[in-house]
Amino acid sequence: MVSKVDVAVIGAGPAGLAAAISARERGAERVIIIERAERLGGLLPQCVHNGFGLLYFEKDMTGPEYEKAFVDKANSLKVEFMLETMVIDLNEEGMLTVVNRQQGYKKIKPGAIVLAMGCRERPRGALGIPGERPAGIFTAGTCQRFVNVEGFMPGSRYVVLGSGDIGMIMARRLTLEGAKVEAVVEIMPWPGGLIRNEVQCLHDFGIRLLLEHTITFIHGKRRIKGVTVAKVDRDLRPIKGTERFFPCDCLLISAGLIPENELSKKAGIELDLVTGGPVVDQNRQTSVPGIFAGGNVVQVHDLVDWVSWEAELAGAAAASYADKGKIKRADQIRMVAGENIKYVVPQYISGKDDVTLHLRVSRPGLRANLKVGNILSKRFRSVRPSEMIILDIKAEKLRDARTLKELVVDCKLEGGD
Amino acid sequence: MRERSKSLWLIASSREVIKVSRREIVICIGCPMGCRVTVTLGKDGSVTTLKGAECRQGQKYVLNELKNPLRTLTATVRTVDEDFPLLPVRSSRPVPKTLLQPIMRETARIRIKTPVQAGDVVARNVQGSKADLLATTDWSGPGGEG
Repeated sequence: MVSKVDVAVIGAGPAGLAAAISARERGAERVIIIERAERLGGLLPQCVHNGFGLLYFEKDMTGPEYEKAFVDKANSLKVEFMLETMVIDLNEEGMLTVVNRQQGYKKIKPGAIVLAMGCRERPRGALGIPGERPAGIFTAGTCQRFVNVEGFMPGSRYVVLGSGDIGMIMARRLTLEGAKVEAVVEIMPWPGGLIRNEVQCLHDFGIRLLLEHTITFIHGKRRIKGVTVAKVDRDLRPIKGTERFFPCDCLLISAGLIPENELSKKAGIELDLVTGGPVVDQNRQTSVPGIFAGGNVVQVHDLVDWVSWEAELAGAAAASYADKGKIKRADQIRMVAGENIKYVVPQYISGKDDVTLHLRVSRPGLRANLKVGNILSKRFRSVRPSEMIILDIKAEKLRDARTLKELVVDCKLEGGD
Repeated sequence: MRERSKSLWLIASSREVIKVSRREIVICIGCPMGCRVTVTLGKDGSVTTLKGAECRQGQKYVLNELKNPLRTLTATVRTVDEDFPLLPVRSSRPVPKTLLQPIMRETARIRIKTPVQAGDVVARNVQGSKADLLATTDWSGPGGEG
């Protein structure tokens, strides 16, 4: 049996909730969120720290508070939920195959789909660290769930590999809970997360941040006993003679997030090799008409506020697609990442409307000059790969670019690294 | 004058400042710039020079950080529910950095036995900080749906 809904949203995290709310507000009758977990909110319930909502609500909220604001709104708008339901297939025609305990195997053909699957943590296996295979190695987010939701500490002495935001936040959390964090080890010359986390999570508690260092060996037969840490050279290769041993009973990995796009691949959606997410236009429509995407499934954001913002775009566009059966593709101009730019999202814009670009630089530096083709240039006193740049462009600025096929974004560093 | 001597006392009373007493580096978190601000302090703990802050707000932030650094504390407290063992909480206002650990020790003793709603006070005036601990989510009580 095939059920009929206007907009189906895959994932009930911050992106899914915002997309569903936005779709309902734009007039979609039946909006359903499909979520594999037993509850809503995605990762928000375990993010007990504050720093959420500063842009969206202009209020400093914790993860659970931010979640509640969206869940309450979704409920008041009569968004429907299918919990403990796994989407096992999505095809080019936009047909979803889902399974759950109550209904078994079920097909859904919605008027439009929003992908809001978020992202996953890069695990140990993807890093290729030499050493033993002992117990006690977790991703930072898994440890966060243990400590903040399930109520146990997986160890008492920690080393954190990678200085992503979750890793730094966990270093603080574990210290406050009485554990010892020996070091946060980062292979790059700059921290992977936000400055505020470096200061308030590491400096506040005297936790060592070892930049340009990596783990060269994991010790321990049954349980991890410690790690060997070495300095790396410019090519990120460990330097002989710089090895140091750090004892620990837990190793946390906070080495990046990867958009989760297994379903997108099944539907044949074109993916961007740099972001790891679907190639989208300014309405967040993917290469498959009627399938939209927003939040960390598209690009890994620094702030949940932007996840909500992006998912709202996708939800609104999905609602009008469901209503009209199509939506004009905004793929007239391709955005190209030029000098010192890692990526630009959206990858395509129409050139006719105001647009907001999200982009990241490849290298940090002072006095940066950001240029979008020759239609816009903006100076930044400082740029960092870990801080996403948000750039608003007015439609009238794009008028001259409309005849172009592509716009190159460059970010020259004038003050050096 | 009184205001000034009070602030000097706060600077002098902050343990970290005494430790370094001559020179302090504070990283501003006001914007992605992350200015490293170098502050030198006189013998009485007063600020003599402040270098490296690109803006006025940064200078203000740095002076506050030296005087009385405040942080919002977020944590969890235990409930009596096996299926929902932890209730997330936050301080109702930022608390002095030096009180973070003492407040954590106080939260470790709390057990929540009855339903709470987000915003409910879980503990009042923790460690004399004038901040209360507030629940940040709802809990429908033992045996409820969490």
